[in-house]
Amino acid sequence: MSLNIQKFREKFIGFPTYLKHWVFTFKGGMTLFCLFILFLFPIVTQNPYFLGIFILAMIYTIFAASWDFLAGFTGQVSFGHAIFFGLSAYGVSATLVFNNFTWWGALLVGVTIAVTTGFIVGIICLRLKGPYLALGTMVIAIMLQDLFKIGQLKDYLWGDQGINDVPPLSNSSTVVYYTILIFMIITIIVLIQITKTNIGTIFKSIRDDETGAETSGINTTKYKVIAFMISSAFAGLAGGFYAMYIRSVGPLIFQPLYSFYVLIMAALGGIATISGSALGAFTFIFLSEILRDLNELDPSNALLTAFSDPAFIFSVILIIMIRFVSQGLLRPILEHLKEFWDILLGR
Amino acid sequence: MGVILEIKNLTKKYSGLTAVNDFSFEIHRGEFVGLIGPNGAGKTTIFNLISGLERPNSGAVRFDGRDITGMKPYKIVNLGIARTFQLVRSFRFMTLLDNISVSCLSSRGKEVAKQYGIDEYASSILAAVGLVDKARIPPIILPHGDLRKLQIGKALGTNPQLLLLDEPFSGLSHEEQKGITDLIIKLHDDGVTVFMTGHVLRELMHLVPRVVAMHQGKFITEGSPQEVANNKIVLEAYLGKGSEQLA
Repeated sequence: MSLNIQKFREKFIGFPTYLKHWVFTFKGGMTLFCLFILFLFPIVTQNPYFLGIFILAMIYTIFAASWDFLAGFTGQVSFGHAIFFGLSAYGVSATLVFNNFTWWGALLVGVTIAVTTGFIVGIICLRLKGPYLALGTMVIAIMLQDLFKIGQLKDYLWGDQGINDVPPLSNSSTVVYYTILIFMIITIIVLIQITKTNIGTIFKSIRDDETGAETSGINTTKYKVIAFMISSAFAGLAGGFYAMYIRSVGPLIFQPLYSFYVLIMAALGGIATISGSALGAFTFIFLSEILRDLNELDPSNALLTAFSDPAFIFSVILIIMIRFVSQGLLRPILEHLKEFWDILLGR
Repeated sequence: MGVILEIKNLTKKYSGLTAVNDFSFEIHRGEFVGLIGPNGAGKTTIFNLISGLERPNSGAVRFDGRDITGMKPYKIVNLGIARTFQLVRSFRFMTLLDNISVSCLSSRGKEVAKQYGIDEYASSILAAVGLVDKARIPPIILPHGDLRKLQIGKALGTNPQLLLLDEPFSGLSHEEQKGITDLIIKLHDDGVTVFMTGHVLRELMHLVPRVVAMHQGKFITEGSPQEVANNKIVLEAYLGKGSEQLA
């Protein structure tokens, strides 16, 4: 035990030096640069439309990072991540509208619901591997969508209409922006740090070879459920923010499309990178906005409508990416930037 | 010297094929035993049954006086039985150090490892198997001989009492075989009970004092390598009927 305390102390004392060193590395410099831009953005523009795009992108970043953690680091590919996202969104909306919770109280309820669901889904899907796990989680999401739609259960699950007039996190877009930005940074740091700890090593071993991990004496069942719970907590966080941002929630939140979106975002940024999901989410949101503008140029043009449908375009992008850059965009972009950086510095 | 592993009337059937048929034998603590048999004799199946990857149709496996038949693999590992695989398994995208760390993080390995720190203990195991200079590279770029060493290292991380080595020499050059042999002898001298398979007699002959022979899932004979090698049924199993004149 004293060994751990000593290690912790060493890390703590060495942290300022580490930080100073880190800032001047390429990776650290890039991260700070991006953070700088994100922190400055609301000062540059107060336009709620642009702020809204960024807020949505940051919410999706949290969501995509949670998926990437489960799929990229534990190897459990879930096609039903909207389960946690949606249930938390419902939990947050209900507590905000009917119980007058504060936003953080509601978020806490939402995340708790998501973690509990993560535990249950983890247990249900324990024996499922690979494509069967993906199918199993997808089916659970579709079941939930139908369950929340049923008119007879309207008194309990609010039926087709869902919950409307959810109070926003704050009336000021800037406050919302900074709150979600901070939560996004915390999410990324926490998830990356988890992958570096001992438990992260175990997760990665399950991803690489489950039987091998088991014959190394690891209770893979336990750790898979833990991974599900961690991932669902952050998916729930994203879901809660989403409900407060969109200000309503309905059964459609469980549709496979949302689970598909998060998959595209993580794949765009690069699976097993965590921070890549930020790149993926921002690219995704910006492209969807551009596509929507494209559609509004001439809504009567059938061809233009088809090609400006995000689901269509992103499916095409996904296919092209799987063929040519299966490791995602983040790593190649960083490599090229680093070459450019080295040339600039004359190395 | 008590009995550490006792296998009793073990039978495993796949649809229509009996891979292991009423197989019984014992291993004493501190022993060094080889299991031989031609390809398809059921050696790996026996290992899978001991390590819990498969359940026997009937019969029992007792470890240290405790019935472990049908227990979960990780529980068996944490009782002190570690194994390697004939086809090398590794965590491909993790560094060698992390590969070993995983087994040091199992509940049995942790008891020892936490006294020294997980990384430090894992490095000491890497040093013991002779891979410490490659601690920071992933196994995908390692040659086959190093992968075999890594496997043994992974098994050692769990601090085993009984080490099951499934064909530790297959696919290795003579030099590499020698390295592994030295490693296994050193482990046995440190007090680990070793049980290993091989389908080539020559490798095992010089190494183990006692050999168990099997053929088509059945126990044939056991004894010193010399006795087993001269056994008529063993020769038949390897070379075919009427081969005793040749040998």
